[in-house]
Amino acid sequence: MRRSSPVFTSTTLVAALVATAAVTGLAGAASAAPSTANKDAAKNVIYLLGDGMGRTHVTAGRQRFYGAGAKMVMETLPAQGHVSTYAVERNSGQPGKAGFRPNLVTDSASAATAWSSGVKTYNAALGVDAKGTVVPTLMELARQDGFRTGNVSTAEITDATPAGQMSHALARGCQGPLYSESACQDLEITGEKLPTNDVRVTPIADQIARNGTADVILGGGLSRFDTSDETALKQQGYSVLGSVADQRPATKADLAAARGEKVFGLFNKGNLTVEKTKQDNPAAPQAQEPSLPEMTRKAISLLGHNSTKGKGFYLQVEGALIDKRSHANDAAQTLAEIKAFDDSVAVALAFAKRDGNTLVVVTADHECAGFNIVEKGTFTNAEAATPPGNVDGGNTANSSSPTRPRNARDATRSSGIINGSGSADAGNFAPATFRTPDDASDVTDGSPEASLWLSYLSGNHTGADVPIYAYGPGSGQLQGSVDNTALFTIVGRALRVVR
Amino acid sequence: MKLRSRTSLSRGWLAVGAVAAVAAMTAVAAVATFTLVGTAGVEPVGKALPAQAARTSFPGLAAARGEPELTSIGASHPRRGQILQAKGPFDDRFVLEGTTFDGSAVAGAVRVTSDVSDVLELQVLAGFFDEQGHLIGTGRFVHHLGESHAHTGPPEEREQFRIPLPAALAHRAVSVTIAVPVLVNE
Repeated sequence: MRRSSPVFTSTTLVAALVATAAVTGLAGAASAAPSTANKDAAKNVIYLLGDGMGRTHVTAGRQRFYGAGAKMVMETLPAQGHVSTYAVERNSGQPGKAGFRPNLVTDSASAATAWSSGVKTYNAALGVDAKGTVVPTLMELARQDGFRTGNVSTAEITDATPAGQMSHALARGCQGPLYSESACQDLEITGEKLPTNDVRVTPIADQIARNGTADVILGGGLSRFDTSDETALKQQGYSVLGSVADQRPATKADLAAARGEKVFGLFNKGNLTVEKTKQDNPAAPQAQEPSLPEMTRKAISLLGHNSTKGKGFYLQVEGALIDKRSHANDAAQTLAEIKAFDDSVAVALAFAKRDGNTLVVVTADHECAGFNIVEKGTFTNAEAATPPGNVDGGNTANSSSPTRPRNARDATRSSGIINGSGSADAGNFAPATFRTPDDASDVTDGSPEASLWLSYLSGNHTGADVPIYAYGPGSGQLQGSVDNTALFTIVGRALRVVR
Repeated sequence: MKLRSRTSLSRGWLAVGAVAAVAAMTAVAAVATFTLVGTAGVEPVGKALPAQAARTSFPGLAAARGEPELTSIGASHPRRGQILQAKGPFDDRFVLEGTTFDGSAVAGAVRVTSDVSDVLELQVLAGFFDEQGHLIGTGRFVHHLGESHAHTGPPEEREQFRIPLPAALAHRAVSVTIAVPVLVNE
């Protein structure tokens, strides 16, 4: 890629900032946020995000790993509620404002922008509102206010969820290492091409390597970064694990040995390897990748040991592969990712209990794939020749249009349990079955005797609300139902960077 | 689903227009006021946020001047009739399938092997070579999956491409080298 100017300044961005209807005055105020006692204020915030993790994902994880009468760690947190996740269309107004046009099913980019910056935006947007205006993120505000910051993910670190805290891009596909017009520009938002020195069309990897938003960056996506990025990171004082220039991913041993205030460690050229694959192939190179709980523990250690001036830290942790394996309708891998995520919650919760002044928030960005628990021995609509019956000759009030006879299983669409007798049929819609701790010892996964029957509605996101669990100062505000943009307010107040 | 695929041709690279000389505003201190929908005890509030918290300029980072190039293409030396693959940043994430070059276009498919998810962005870059092994021109295939759509089918891992030989190079190209400079999965 050819690059021209050694000086990179944003111009249209500024114009957009000024043009936004929301701009009202001069700043600095938030940095001088109230220092008075605030019962909802916390020294540290650990925000854990299970990408694509709906309520049923949690239930299935509980039943699979702990049994029906137990709880996952996240379910033991005292404050619990639900989060609405909808996005908006391009150029929409904000909720309650003129031109508001909701999009009921969000993607990870829009959702990340909602809790990171407090605004609804269009799917694919990161750190910009629905009209393309740059909006600051919580991690940027925290960093500016003296907090230590960390961003951990099992995805490429340029992927939507981690990028939502530390980049501003019209399009989530503008990840790098190279700019392309198709991936980075969005003429529906800007009307005309932005100059390539505008942050909103700057590859996300270039931004992350240069903006210093997160002190500790752990995840995947080494391929997104190049030698110039490594140079920029080192100039800011980052300890770079592995080698960007040589495209040599870091290892869990590198992570264990990492020291210093700023650490950049990417453990795979792409997304990290799914837990089940590492468990099934312990001798594979991928098994040298750290797990999400290992990265969480290290990030907390690095951030907690280097806090300064009485300020704490703000850490975001994403279990990204829950979503990616749900897209693939792979229930076994999805479950293993849920467990790894919950183990990370345990790490965060243990720290918070020791520390006594840490808010832990556990939630999701959206549900993925309509994951569901079906009754043992039954079949789903996807396996049926027709939908369930809708006729009752004895009571006309129970019948509506269209009337249907009772449904029946379609043998061509339901050829046996998909992780068992039907595993060889690529066109099979049957559920996957898993044993639970409550099952007899001789019950196996993939058998009809296993009690946990799991199915998927689709391969895409759904618009269902997602669960939220919280512990620590300010967690009471998360009891009940909240919109994902309110998470910005609640966490921002806990950090005292939002009034 | 809003799907946009196109092929663009270039020998030199598309030059992005010079940045308008708008006065530098790195010290802009605009404050955005947000009205948030809040429940569970969170009332809508106006908040002053320092816009300068968002870092928007990066001294030392040269702005991109056009579509991506890969020097590995120019360094390759395909013989007459050959279709080579040059090094790119994502070679461990895909395989090329069914590539052909009939003298007027190179075609084939990229099958993504790293993720079962939608291919958001894909660019296939082709370098065309003459009888003497000189790179005489390039063409590219661009795939962009729009986000403001309802998904209508399962994620597509295989993307077919066709890159015509630029008209100015007709009858001169005898071999091709292909590389993938852009690849993003959801």
